[in-house]
Order: sequence, then structure tokens, then C-alpha cells
Amino acid sequence: MKALIVDDEPPARARLVSLLQECGDVELLGEAGDGRTAVEIAARLAPDLVLLDISMPLMNGLEAARHLATLDPAPAVIFCTAFDEHALAAFDANAIDYLVKPIRLERLQGALARAQRYSGGAVAKLQLEQLDAQSASRTHLCVRVRGNLVLVPVTEIDYLMAEDKYVVVHYRGNAVLIEEPLKALETEFGGRFVRIHRNCLVAKARLVGLVRTTDEHVFAKIAGCEVQLEVSRRNLPVVRRAVKGA
Amino acid sequence: MRWLADFCSLPVLFVVMLVAELVVLVIVIAPSDESRAFLPRLATTTVFVQWLGLLCAVSLCKLRAPLERLQPLLGVVTAYLVMLVISLAGSYLVFTLDQQLSLGLTLPAQFQTRFVIRNAALCALIGTALLRYFYVLEQWRTRVRAEAQARLDGLQARIRPHFLFNSMNTIASLIRTQPAAAEHAVEDLSDLFRAALGADGAPSTLGSELELVRRYLAIEQLRLGERLQVTMQIDDLLPLQMPVPALLLQPLVENAVNHGVQPLPQGGTVALRASRVGSGVEIAIANPRPPEGQRLPTRNGMALANTRSRIEYHFGWRGVLLVQEGAEDFLVTLRLPDVEPAKP
Repeated sequence: MKALIVDDEPPARARLVSLLQECGDVELLGEAGDGRTAVEIAARLAPDLVLLDISMPLMNGLEAARHLATLDPAPAVIFCTAFDEHALAAFDANAIDYLVKPIRLERLQGALARAQRYSGGAVAKLQLEQLDAQSASRTHLCVRVRGNLVLVPVTEIDYLMAEDKYVVVHYRGNAVLIEEPLKALETEFGGRFVRIHRNCLVAKARLVGLVRTTDEHVFAKIAGCEVQLEVSRRNLPVVRRAVKGA
Repeated sequence: MRWLADFCSLPVLFVVMLVAELVVLVIVIAPSDESRAFLPRLATTTVFVQWLGLLCAVSLCKLRAPLERLQPLLGVVTAYLVMLVISLAGSYLVFTLDQQLSLGLTLPAQFQTRFVIRNAALCALIGTALLRYFYVLEQWRTRVRAEAQARLDGLQARIRPHFLFNSMNTIASLIRTQPAAAEHAVEDLSDLFRAALGADGAPSTLGSELELVRRYLAIEQLRLGERLQVTMQIDDLLPLQMPVPALLLQPLVENAVNHGVQPLPQGGTVALRASRVGSGVEIAIANPRPPEGQRLPTRNGMALANTRSRIEYHFGWRGVLLVQEGAEDFLVTLRLPDVEPAKP
């Protein structure tokens, strides 16, 4: 089994490394100190198993698990946490494994055996459902560009534009495609974006002003972007308020 | 509980004078034969009533110690009698003086008994109301104080379980590789928990609070490695023996580590500066503030709110907790007066 260790605390990683060495039959692929790096490494190295801390910088373990579950093949995820009531509550009833720190060797061996029994996909699917039920909004969008995985921080998104069955994510001058409905994104990140048109969500923080053309159309100006996006008549009052609020 | 108010204190004296003046107004405004002009009547009545009122207040103030040694009921009756005697004697004295000097400020001579008795009756009525008022006020204050104490006990800074288990994990990992560091960590952790478990409102000292912060940061530095940088700048003139509430600083430093340093992948510096300012002490704790999107979900500043109410409770309005929230930094400043904190 190829394993990836993810924890932001060096001693915690060191301990997991030494425990895994005692388990045998486990090949250590690497270590990561935050969720985002973990997802990027996992996309490249395709581990069978990820040992994931929950509280970490950049991207926490719960969200990282959510992104890991979209990988193909998806790794089995074992959460390692010091003390987290809701994580325990959420995963107690399910086949998903979690270990509490300090981790016992026997518990780790049990978890590894279980991970081997399940195919990675089955565990991942269960986790995904669980995590969606928790419905905390993500901090990153998981995007594939020419087969590579790219994580786009939600705070860096300028606007989201629906095109056919895709949504184009515009961020820092880049444009990438994701296969998620605009409506779902609006629900998940409602506080951050404002709908300016049937097909477009704009980050409130990036909205700098409105321009009215001679033929009575209104366009939104986005900070750091050349383009101006059309605001529909229906959404205009809400957009006005968002501009004033900014 | 105290049943007799402290008549030497300014607020109580103020209430006495205020009530006395209200009584004066009632007497002067009440319909009478109006043989004398309004303002002179107001003036003489004010002088007389305020004199009586303050005389009663000062006597009760002086008699407070012996009165409080009595049974509450006996004490109340005695205090009441003292007021009656003062008003009887005072009225008699004033009336006699007035007659001797023929000032005509009181009543004609044949009304001496009426003057003295009625004044005493007024004093009895108003004294009852006032004593009752002060008693209820005192009762209310005691209850508020008890509630505040109960709330404080509830707020009493606790060390998060998270910290315990993370530290245990760190120690478990160090035991094999760095036994000496593990040993230190166990000692530091023990000191922290001794303080946390023993913190039942008993005051600690500034020196030992700073020491606890040092121990806490030592453990967190083991856990977070190079990501946690610490600078501590302690003024040599700091009154280390100054009493402060237990676990006053540690929760603030814990906040700085958890919300300021841990969410940053590259880590950051927690800077603590303690200096002497005038007769008091100023302690500033600075930490970086992660950019939006990397912040931990806040618990609505629970630790800050708790600390603020504990400071308020122990130091009154002279204790200050300031929070400066910048775009990239976060600064908490405590200003504590160098005084014996109020005994809870």
C-alpha cells in the first residue's frame, strides 16, 4: 500500500512515519503539511491511502478529503485528529475510519486492514456523501487542466460564467472550466458572489462599479479585468446594493 | 450580607442629600399659609433638612462598626432609633435657638412640641424608606456580584482539550527521538494543567502568568516547529508580584497561536511585550492575521470577551483590553492598574 501522510505538525508526521514503519507492507510516498499540497501530491502520485489531519492551514482535512474523493483512483482516507467532536460524530456511524491522537499502533493497523478491504472508491464515495451532508463551503475549487489537477482558491475568483454545460472560472487572468452547475456554486458560496445575469456570478469584493451605455444596458466593472459584464434588468437592484456595500 | 449601607461613601451621601432636598421641595411646595416668600423658605428648610440628614448619615457611618456586630433586627432598630433621637434633638435645638434669637424662622413659641414631634415623624417615615432602599440596593448588588462570580467561574479560563491531546501526540513522537525535549514538554504541560485545574478564582501573580505563557509557547514550538517564532520583551521594572487573575494571559497567547500562526503555511511570530506604564502595566500580544479565506472560523471572540469581563471584574474600569485588528496583523493590549484587585 502506498501511503501519504498529511499533518501540519512535524512531530505528528514523524510519529506517523515511525508507526507506519512498524506496520510493514506500507510504502511511504511522501508527506504534506497542508490540505492543498496533499491534494496536489495525491493527484500526481496516486496513493492508495491518505492519513489526513483535520485542522491544517490553507485547506483543512475535511475539504481535502472532498477533493481527494474526486480523484481517479480515489485514495482511501483515514482521518487523524486530536479532538474534534463533530468529526467523531459525523463519522462514527459510517465505515470511514478516524484515529484519535496520540495514535495507537493497534488502531492504526486495524484502520490499514480496513482500508485494504474496501476498494478505495467505495470508501471515497461514502466519505463524499458524508462530507456533502456537512455542507461547509469549500475554500478551493478542484479543476483539471490538460489532465493536471489545479486548485483554485475561492478567494481569488473574479467571476464565474456559465457556458453550455460548463462553468468558466475566471481568476487572476486565467480561465478554467469546471463541471458544476452555476446554481450549486451560487448556493455554496452565496455570501461571496452576487448574480448579475442568468449566466454569471461575480465576486462581491471584485465588483468596482456599474456603467450605463447609451442604449440603456448596464455593465459591471470588475477589478483587474478588462471585460465588462452585462447586468440583467432583473438582477440590477441586488447588484446595485452589492456595489454600494463594497 | 450587609444590611446597613456605608453612609461614609459618596454615592450613599449623595442619595441622602438628594432625598433630603426632595423632602424640602415637598414641604415648601405643599399648600400652606404662605406667610413667607418661597425662596427664603426654601433656603432655610434646605439648610435645616440637609443638616439633619447629614448628621444622621455621619452618625450612622461612625456607628457602623458597632451596629454591624448586633443582630440584624436589633441593629436596624438601633439605627432607626439613632435617627429619631438625632431628629428630635436637632429639631429641639433649632427651635430653641430660633426662639432665643427671635429669628422667626420656625414656628411661634407655643408650637414647640408640634415642631419637634412632626419633624421626628417625617424623619421616621423617610428614614424607613431610605434604610429599606439601601437594604434592597445592597441585596441587589450582592446578587449581581454573586451572578458575576458564578459567570466568572464558568468563564474561568480553561485549556482546550485539543491542546492536551496535540501535546500528548507531540510528546509521544519525541520520546523516542528526543527524550530530553519530551521530558521538558511533560514538565511544562504539568505546570499548565496545575494552573488550569487549580484556577478557582484564586489570584495568581504577573510573574507566574508570564512564566506559564513561556511554558505554553515552548510546547507549541515543539508542535509547530519553525512555523512558530516567539519574541518576548519583558521590562525589568515589571512588578512581577502584582496579583492578577489566574490564566489571564495564556488564553490570549493561545488565540494568537491558533488563529494567527497555525493557519499560515509559512507560520509567523507571536510577540509579547510587557512594560511598565506609569503606575500600571501594559502587556501587548501581537500576531499575524491570516488573509481572508485562510482564517479559522471564529468563536466570536470568546476568549477575548472572557478576558475582558475578568479584567473588568478584577480591576474595574481602570483595567483595559484593547483589540486592534489590521489587515495583516492582530494586536491585543492589556492595561492593568498596579493595585490590589477587588476581593471577590
